This record gives sequence, structure tokens and C-alpha cells, in this order.
Amino acid sequence: MNTKNWKLKDVLLIAICAVLFGVVYLGCTYVGGILYGVLTPMGMASLGYEPFYGIYFMAGAFGIYVMRKPGTGLIAELLAAVLECLYGNYFGPIIILSGLVQGLGFELIIALKRYKKFDRMTMMQGAVICSVLTMGYNLIISGYSKIALPVLALMLVVRIISAVIFDGIITPLLADGLVKAGVLKGYAVAQNQTADLED
Amino acid sequence: MLERWNPTVKAATVLVCVILLSLEYLISLNLLVLGCCLLLVVFGSRVSIKKLGALLLPALVAAFGLFVMGLYYAKSGSGQAVDMQALSAMPYAVRAAMSQNLYTALQLATRLLAFAGLGILFALTTDSDFFIASLLHQCKLPPKFAYGILAAFHLMPGMVREYNQVRTAFAVRGLKISVFSMKPVFTMLVNSVRWSESVAMAMESKGFCGTAPRTYYTVPKVHPTDLLAAALCIGGVIAGMLFLHY
Repeated sequence: MNTKNWKLKDVLLIAICAVLFGVVYLGCTYVGGILYGVLTPMGMASLGYEPFYGIYFMAGAFGIYVMRKPGTGLIAELLAAVLECLYGNYFGPIIILSGLVQGLGFELIIALKRYKKFDRMTMMQGAVICSVLTMGYNLIISGYSKIALPVLALMLVVRIISAVIFDGIITPLLADGLVKAGVLKGYAVAQNQTADLED
Repeated sequence: MLERWNPTVKAATVLVCVILLSLEYLISLNLLVLGCCLLLVVFGSRVSIKKLGALLLPALVAAFGLFVMGLYYAKSGSGQAVDMQALSAMPYAVRAAMSQNLYTALQLATRLLAFAGLGILFALTTDSDFFIASLLHQCKLPPKFAYGILAAFHLMPGMVREYNQVRTAFAVRGLKISVFSMKPVFTMLVNSVRWSESVAMAMESKGFCGTAPRTYYTVPKVHPTDLLAAALCIGGVIAGMLFLHY
């Protein structure tokens, strides 16, 4: 991971956006909380937050989509994790561990494509990999390996749908919109888009 | 006392304990860890009970949810859902069938509580500026990341206000936006990019440079007592794993 090619401006952009996505997530957890309450008597409490799981990955997805350099997805997600840790919730530094897993998802698929392809398909694949990796993390750390398979499968499917919508579709749309609005000049995402227009 | 524990060492201790605890499913050890953490927070720091409760309550709710989930859908049991009607019709048979699930459910819920205890211990006793200063010196986090994180952290209250303002602005214009609408998020993203540029410019015009040597207001150090505390915690968990069986 090379931190040399990060300018202060880039760090601030990713960190501020991570805080923003955190605020959006907080807004959604009110709905998640209601779902959680409804689902608890059915034994499906953990499913309540799954529809919003994709928001967790947005910092990483946005970071790598905008900056397009090796390590940006991982670093962006770690930045978001440290920030979440600072705000203080009952997970504490454990969030840094899950941030590492979340950041790996997009990093892996995009590294596989040599940091050249950033189309919707790649982002959706990243979202799916992210969901699977975090479920693996849940299996080991949260002890989900003790839960029956069909329930886990249902949770994974909901998580994948959420991740594909939030990270495979909405995040690139938001970033492309920012390029069109002309605020992301100087970032790799803007350079690639103008190159596409010239073709 | 806990406030003075070096944050990097404290965070590493918590993470090592979490990884160790996730290797086994020991209900007694999980509860012991939770109990020790809560006692340490109450007697070893200046945290108010109210703040402790505010963090502990969501953890208890989450643990309860996981408990019910384990009760119904544990893998080790017969696997199928036990519906509530059967529960009232033949309590004894169902109770017998569920006893295995009950154990699994307790394993899952207490593990979450143990993690919450460790997380709360860190979250409540660690000052954010001190944590970042420690990451800067102990983990060699580059200054541009350290101060970038702090700048974004202190922007948070302003961002919540701005987010509500943007939503109100949409409402004033008669545009209907639902909770999930991405329109205010987009407006906020535009603001965020502008903020990142102006905050960076402000910091650099004050002479901030990510690479040049600089002086520091506080330089956190790792003392032998920090390491001793870490060794005690990790040693305690390992001893629990060796000597406890349930």
C-alpha cells in the first residue's frame, strides 16, 4: 500500500465522505431498528439491519472508484473504521478489523483487473465479494457458524442485494454525477470520463 | 487510570482478546470478560454510569436478538424452526428439543456481550485526540492521515446540521424526498468535496506539510505498565480458555 500518492485533499475527501455515509447509515438504522424489533420474535433479528449493509461498504467503494489507485479501497475503508471508532460505539476497535475485511472486497476484484476497469459490472462484482467476505468474517468472529444454513443463506442474499444496489449502482452514479457537476476535477474518475467522451 | 493506558496498546489488547474469544464458545469466560470490563470501567475510570448504560443498552438489545435467533435457528439442533404454537401445546417436548439450541443461543449472545464489554472499555476511556496522537507515534500513521481524520471527525456535528438543512431546502422547494432518497446525499457530497478542498487549503496555508519534520503538542509513549496491563488481560483470557470448560 503506497500512501505517498495520497494528498491531504484526498485524505480529507475520503474521510469527510466516510462521515457523510455514516450519517446516512445512522438515518437508515432507525428503519433498521423497527425492522429489528418486528423480526426479533421470529428469531430473525439480525436480518433487520441487512438491507442497509451496503452502506457500510460505500466509503471503500467511493474511494477506489474516485481515486483508482492501488490500496485506495482498503485505506478508505480503514479511515472510515477509525472514524467510527472515534465516535464511540460498543464495538470499539473491533470495527477496524471488520473495516479491513470490507476494504478487501473491492480491492481484490479491481486489483485482479489491474486497476483499469471500473464499469458497473466490476463494481457489482466487488459488492458481491464484499458481502461474501463480511459473511465469512461473521461466521468466524460473530459465531454465525452456529446458525442454520438456510438462515445464513437468506441473510447473505439480502446483504448481496443491498451491496449491489448501494455500492454497485448508487455509489458510481453519485460519483459520475459529481464529475458532471464539475467538482471532481483532478481525480482519476474525471479524467477517465472525459477520455470516454472523446472516443 | 484506564484513560492513561496507551490507546494503541489498548486497542491491540482488545483485538487480541476478541480473536482469542472467537476461537472458543465458552459462556462462562464470555460472561467473566464482560463482568471484568464493566467493573474496570466503573471503578477504573471516570466514566459516568449514564454513558456506560447508553452504550450497554444497544449491546444488550443486539445480544437478545442474537439469542432468539440462536434459539430458533441453531445449527446443532434439529435445524427446523420451532413455532410458537407448538411451544404452548407441548411445552415439555419442545423444551427438550430446544435445550441444545438454548446452549448455542447463550454461546452466541454471551460472545457478543463479551465483545461489547471490550469495545465499551476502549470507547469510553479513550480520548479521540489522544488515540490519533498515539496512532501517529506508535503506528507511524502519516501526519496527513492523522490530521485529516481529526478534521473530518470535528466536522461531524456541522455535517448533521447541514444534512438536515439540505433536506429542509428540498422541502421548501416542494420536492418530496423519502428517507432513502439519494438527492440530499448528492448535494451533501458536492459540499463534502468543496469542504475537503477548502480545509486542505486552510491547513496548507497555515504551513501544514505531510512530509516535513514537525513538533508535537503531546507525544504518547508506551510505558512498561501499558504492556503489563495488556499482558494481564491477554493472559487472563488465555487462562480462562485453558481452565474453563463451559
